[in-house]
Amino acid sequence: VFGDDAEAFAKVQSGFKADIIHPCSSWWGLYVESGLVQPLDTTRLTAWEDIPEAFRKQSEINGQYYFVPWDWYYEALLVRSDLVPEMPTTLADLWDPMYAGHISLWDNGEVSFATAALAFGIDPFNTTPEQDQFVKEKLIELKPNLLTYWLDYTQAIELSSSGDAWIVASAWQDTYSVMVDEGYDVAYVEPEEGYLAGLCGYGIGTDNTNLDLTYEFLNAAIDPHSMANFTNEYWYGAANFAANEFIDDEAAELLRLDDFENVLLNTRFYQPLTAERRDQLSDLWNEVKAAP
Amino acid sequence: MSDEKSLNTPDAMKEERGGTVKKITGIPRKSQLALLVAPSFIWLIILLVLPLITMIGLSFQKSAFGVDSDVFTFASYINFWQNSAYQNLLMKSLWISLLVAVISIVLAYPVAYFLAFHAGDKQGLLLNIMIIPAWTSFLLRVLAWRLILGSNGLLNTFLMWLGVIQEPISGLFYSVNAVVITLVYIWIPFAALPIYVALLRIEPGLLEAASDLGARPWQGFFKVTLPLSIPGILASFLYVFIPTVGEYVTPALVGGPNGLMIGNIIWDQFMRGLDWPMGATLSLMVMLIVIIPLVIMARAAQQTGILGGKSE
Repeated sequence: VFGDDAEAFAKVQSGFKADIIHPCSSWWGLYVESGLVQPLDTTRLTAWEDIPEAFRKQSEINGQYYFVPWDWYYEALLVRSDLVPEMPTTLADLWDPMYAGHISLWDNGEVSFATAALAFGIDPFNTTPEQDQFVKEKLIELKPNLLTYWLDYTQAIELSSSGDAWIVASAWQDTYSVMVDEGYDVAYVEPEEGYLAGLCGYGIGTDNTNLDLTYEFLNAAIDPHSMANFTNEYWYGAANFAANEFIDDEAAELLRLDDFENVLLNTRFYQPLTAERRDQLSDLWNEVKAAP
Repeated sequence: MSDEKSLNTPDAMKEERGGTVKKITGIPRKSQLALLVAPSFIWLIILLVLPLITMIGLSFQKSAFGVDSDVFTFASYINFWQNSAYQNLLMKSLWISLLVAVISIVLAYPVAYFLAFHAGDKQGLLLNIMIIPAWTSFLLRVLAWRLILGSNGLLNTFLMWLGVIQEPISGLFYSVNAVVITLVYIWIPFAALPIYVALLRIEPGLLEAASDLGARPWQGFFKVTLPLSIPGILASFLYVFIPTVGEYVTPALVGGPNGLMIGNIIWDQFMRGLDWPMGATLSLMVMLIVIIPLVIMARAAQQTGILGGKSE
């Protein structure tokens, strides 16, 4: 059990023996690099071919597949339509003084960096040091507009439902689904810059010897029915596209499954980060937060 | 002498324990002391000294994991000295703690004064009432302030109902002010206790003497009560100041983008950034900066005999 990806990595790295690990794509490289996961035998996965090539490709590191893509999500703007003076349409709108004191950003360096970079037309995954500096200044400039940083999904929901945060940035579909279920007047806005998106999946721990059971579990996890159920409940994306026919219209529309090829063109999935880059981003983020 | 007697056990028991030739009472006082201190000593070694040594080691590593963990470097310290963001945040944290400590003491002093001199029979009851909130989890009490300070919170709703304000005051929550208010609330009982104890120890005769000699009540307070309660005030200050410098939960929950403290960044370095060396360095810096004034203060206090120590 872990709170977030970083905590999980710290735990596994310092000796916790996990049979199966479920990190998100930007961490996959680090797990492989640190020798914490073993390559997959994709022939033992029944639904491997139903997972889109775009997803499978992300799990390929040094010519081998290491992770079974399982869930994916968009990061969009969760907006209280009843409270904002005007609907935001772009990420750059977050800097609009109109929203001063009513925006909540995720307390996550990697994500906030990507969001700010994208807002100012910079490729978040390939920056120069000057661009890093620029993004950092922009994030500091954003502070007067912020209500607070949100730490987890529960807090994001609370901030939005209390009406204190008009816009919750980097919100996943599950947050939106809870707000809709609770009857709040919310919108899930795809920024004009395109979605940032993440993909998560299962990897098998290096010391796992019980592979028969492990593959049985993985096959059950990516089974179309169980995946469709997962999507219908939480509005997360299912990596197994064979599940799509069982997905409710509402969820399918939100995820834009019918138009997925086009969505992919305009969506940036988080790329694997090296340990060094992760350090840089975390330092940058800490300096933003420490700035007066 | 009586405490030595109480250690006296029957011979049979002594035999069972491996037959010490000497009677237990015969153990020299120094060994008795060692025996008594041993559990807390071991506790401190395992939970304080060893982790501290680990932290110091960690702060000189290049990375916490992988091959880089064997590389010895001053990089984290250099990073700290070159990075004004960390230094400013540390100064801000110290400032917040100072503010909290001073406000807590100012607010706690009258409470303690009342308890010690005017509560009479009700002393015990009132003391308990003061401490009862501390039985609730720290976290819950911080969360409760969200209900009070939020833009739809109790305070704003109340003020709007009274007609004092038309729009909710938004600066109350998610700000440095919220952090200070919450922390002061939490620490008042802890600040009051040492002052209360110090006030109890004041001989009533001294105040009577003061008034006999023609001092007005306020003069009596400033010339007698206050100076004699200084040890309590200092203890309160340390009680409040030290834990709040490293405070993490409160700023994270009510601090907003500008109310963060150094503890939040340290947590971040360990849990999110996975930059354990930097986290360790920052922690040690905080300790160092807190310890130096403490040592100076303690020394000054000892020399002036203010802490009740023998000054001759």
